[in-house]
Amino acid sequence: MKDLTRRVAARAVNWNRVEDDKDLEVWNRLTANFWLPEKVPLSNDVQSWATLTPEERKLTIRVFAGLTLLDTVQAGVGAPALMADATTQHEEAVLANISFMEAVHAKSYSSIFSTLCSTEEIDAAFRWAEENEHLQAKASRILEDYAPGGDPLKRKIASTFLESFMFYSGFYLPMYWSSRAKLTNTADLIRLIIRDEAVHGYYIGYKFQRALAKESAEKQASIKDYAFSLLFELYTVEDRYTAELYDGVGLTEDVKRFLHYNANKALMNLGYEALFPETSTEVNPAILSALSPNADENHDFFSGSGSSYVIGKAVATEDEDWDF
Amino acid sequence: MDAETLDRGVSASPEIQGMDYHALNAMLNLYDDKGHIRFEADRQAARAYFLEHVNQNTVFFHSLEEKLGYLVEKGYYDTSVLDAYDRAFVHKIWDAAFAKKFRFPTFLGAFKYYTSYTLKTNDGKRYLERYEDRVCMVALALARGDETLAMRLMEEIVAGRFQPATPTFLNAGKAQRGELISCFLLRIEDNMESIGRSINSALQLSKRGGGVALLLTNIREHGAPIKGIENQSSGVIPVMKLLEDSFSYANQLGARQGAGAVYLNAHHPDILRFLDTKRENADEKIRIKTLSLGVVIPDVTFELAKRDEEMYLFSPHDVAKVYGKPFSEISVSEKYREMVDDPRIRKSKIRARRFFEILAEIQFESGYPYIMFEDTVNRANPVQGRINMSNLCSEILQVNEASEFEDDLSYKHLGTDISCNLGSMNIAKAMDGGDLAASIDVAVRALTAVSDMSAIDSVPSVRRGNDESHAIGLGQMNLHGYLARERIHYGSPEALDFTSVYFATVLFHALTASNALASERGRSFAGFENSTYADGSFFDKYVEEDWMPKTDVAKALFEKAGIPLPTRRDWAQLRDAVIAEGLYNRNLQAVPPTGSISYINNATSSIHPIASKIEIRKEGKIGRVYYPAPFMTNENLEYYRDAYEIGPEAIIDTYAAATEHVDQGLSLTLFFRDTATTRDINRAQIYAWRKGIKTIYYVRLRQMALEGTEVQGCVSCTL
Repeated sequence: MKDLTRRVAARAVNWNRVEDDKDLEVWNRLTANFWLPEKVPLSNDVQSWATLTPEERKLTIRVFAGLTLLDTVQAGVGAPALMADATTQHEEAVLANISFMEAVHAKSYSSIFSTLCSTEEIDAAFRWAEENEHLQAKASRILEDYAPGGDPLKRKIASTFLESFMFYSGFYLPMYWSSRAKLTNTADLIRLIIRDEAVHGYYIGYKFQRALAKESAEKQASIKDYAFSLLFELYTVEDRYTAELYDGVGLTEDVKRFLHYNANKALMNLGYEALFPETSTEVNPAILSALSPNADENHDFFSGSGSSYVIGKAVATEDEDWDF
Repeated sequence: MDAETLDRGVSASPEIQGMDYHALNAMLNLYDDKGHIRFEADRQAARAYFLEHVNQNTVFFHSLEEKLGYLVEKGYYDTSVLDAYDRAFVHKIWDAAFAKKFRFPTFLGAFKYYTSYTLKTNDGKRYLERYEDRVCMVALALARGDETLAMRLMEEIVAGRFQPATPTFLNAGKAQRGELISCFLLRIEDNMESIGRSINSALQLSKRGGGVALLLTNIREHGAPIKGIENQSSGVIPVMKLLEDSFSYANQLGARQGAGAVYLNAHHPDILRFLDTKRENADEKIRIKTLSLGVVIPDVTFELAKRDEEMYLFSPHDVAKVYGKPFSEISVSEKYREMVDDPRIRKSKIRARRFFEILAEIQFESGYPYIMFEDTVNRANPVQGRINMSNLCSEILQVNEASEFEDDLSYKHLGTDISCNLGSMNIAKAMDGGDLAASIDVAVRALTAVSDMSAIDSVPSVRRGNDESHAIGLGQMNLHGYLARERIHYGSPEALDFTSVYFATVLFHALTASNALASERGRSFAGFENSTYADGSFFDKYVEEDWMPKTDVAKALFEKAGIPLPTRRDWAQLRDAVIAEGLYNRNLQAVPPTGSISYINNATSSIHPIASKIEIRKEGKIGRVYYPAPFMTNENLEYYRDAYEIGPEAIIDTYAAATEHVDQGLSLTLFFRDTATTRDINRAQIYAWRKGIKTIYYVRLRQMALEGTEVQGCVSCTL
């Protein structure tokens, strides 16, 4: 948290004087995209849930427990830590929004759990998340960079990797199910989360690039080294985590290609070149197409409202509009 | 299924070998390295789907006899359908159907058919029917022993010129089945018996198929007195909650989820509460997730907004007491001043413009509510009675009559409620067929058969409505696909010209067919004598005005197809025949949004423009699947501008040209980019109302990914 006492006087945030237009653009996008899990009719997935094998169900619950953990980290520590480094008040406001939406995401998984699973299953999954060494390694590695007194640039790198890379081993599964006509409403909810994470990763990466540009060439080089070595480190953990989760259903290879794809995306958000060659990023098209954050799918009243609707801008009509 | 059923000439390119059909289908949404759409991947997907899935999961029979014998014996087919025909004819129609060599042109078409329509073994694991089997059973069931009609109907369906709506196509000929009818509309009156009865009806009808719409306008508002004690009623929201839960409980043997809509008049005091149920941050206690909403707006609301005045909301309880009839029987536009000045009617008010703004805000967030322009609808209604609601897809517009109940829920007076069975013509195929008159005749007879065969005893008011009206809804689809194939831009003057002439011609032939039915059966729908058909005034505009093509392009389309157009003299003759012999069907046309059936039929939905070049279709049963617009190639992409590019005005103009000739409604969706504001939505609504549009279905918004966050090379991501 920012230390307000250091300031000479408290300053009110003035959105009519925006220093970085990107702040306003992203703020507008994030507020338009506001949503709550209650809007998705998750209970329509209850029948579909029953068609999964016990093995598949366990996998799904664990994946969501893992995602809950990461969102909790980002909401409680990540975004607030970044706020301390904010260069403008508007950036602080955007980060506050990000922090809040991450909390909404974490709660969304609970909505999925309470709709589909028994208390016993839920408790077992959370216990698993606490005890899983790879998952804990992921979280603690990121928390290390978030710790107070750390380098603001490194914090942004960690945060971008979390938003743009580390969530995706988990996101793969609901996208896979929905391409098989299973848990389609759950997938809608996850797609709303993906829609948000895409913007978060992009924004934090952008702020990183702006901050980095002010540094010396020497510092820039060392930060770049740091970014790539952190990615290697995280990838190694992610690799093991993926194998542990997905080996049982035979999807590990495909999930890894998906990880490569998103690792490249995360690097792109930081302004760096791709790490993995194109051939190793050829994700199953059914997953890639399902990711598209655009709201252009066609659904009817038998399906949920999906990720297509946003909060609109209200503008009053004028006399000329009623000229008939 | 043998290899012959597969599209030949499709060979696997090396890069896509080894992919499953879902992955192949999804490649449609990703450009190739030259920036082209990979249509061949979708054809590959369809082929792989047959090879890897359908063929391996289809029960094999050596002969037709063996198949029919098995399906009847095991209780899959309704034996009375087959017994109505000579066995030799049954063989003849099956042979003729398979000789047409039908192929699904897209993966989604095949996938949707096998997932949702075809007959499966009771464990749901193996397929018992091919497409041709389903078509033959539908044709035989609807023709009820008439060999000529059965053969003609089979040909129309296999050729794709006519496609029965989902409940009919899914259920006809099966022994264990839901109803053949798609759609029901029920009134609710302002008493507990009626509310209870309507919840029962909602359950019963959902169990049997289709969607149910209910009218809430007559229910007294929040805080209204009950038995003279003030502040007792809880208004319409709790009724909506009960209905929503009823619909999610009932589904048709798991085949189709129950779905419902509720309509409320804009001048009902609960109108803002009603709209707030769809707010993004609505409290869980009042949030409505799966029920669709519709608002009935009279002309006076627009007049008040024009003058920037307040609009009064009237207590339905008091209105009914003062006028001695339910609120929904009153024309608000006509009685507005009178009700405002009547001290016996309690009222509240909101600014009319603010009401429209709120309406648009909710549409932004949820796509709802639908809108019905009450006075436009009633002005265009050719039969006696008042239209006060629409249905789940906002294309059914028929009159109804209130029922009254005894304490034990039996009827004191049996009113009428509405059902409608639908089917749509594929405009491109119908034009290619060259005999529009014959195609429409068959379609009207098929839809009438559904009405004749249906008797919904669980809801007697629906049964009575159907028995008396024989209302049908002939729809149209693939307008955009047809126009694009003919290299005409959607919404261009030539396209509007074609649309108007086409729909006038459809009306002519539909009336001709219904007139022939009345003549053959010696009776008309109840109340024919009080319609503008009976006094001939309905035909004035066709006898006094020409409805011929005004552009050379439209003229050439009909000439090329060899389709003659009705002249004023033809219309005058038809008028005289109708006055003399009547009409069998009270309602004839309704243009539904055509979701599933347009994929099977390879058509663009309804008369809408495409939503996207590659449409992403999401449904519970099929997941997320990709669908290429019909007739689209990498060479003619310029004619496939999507609805967001085309914008609301051209869509409204197209619908206005068609609405002119359609006795019921047309599902019209408005498409906006996310840069639109509530003001843009309001302007489009005002424009639609001015142009004589009857109803507005969904409002859809497309938000493009923030630059820098999009998926690379994705077809549906590019503007």
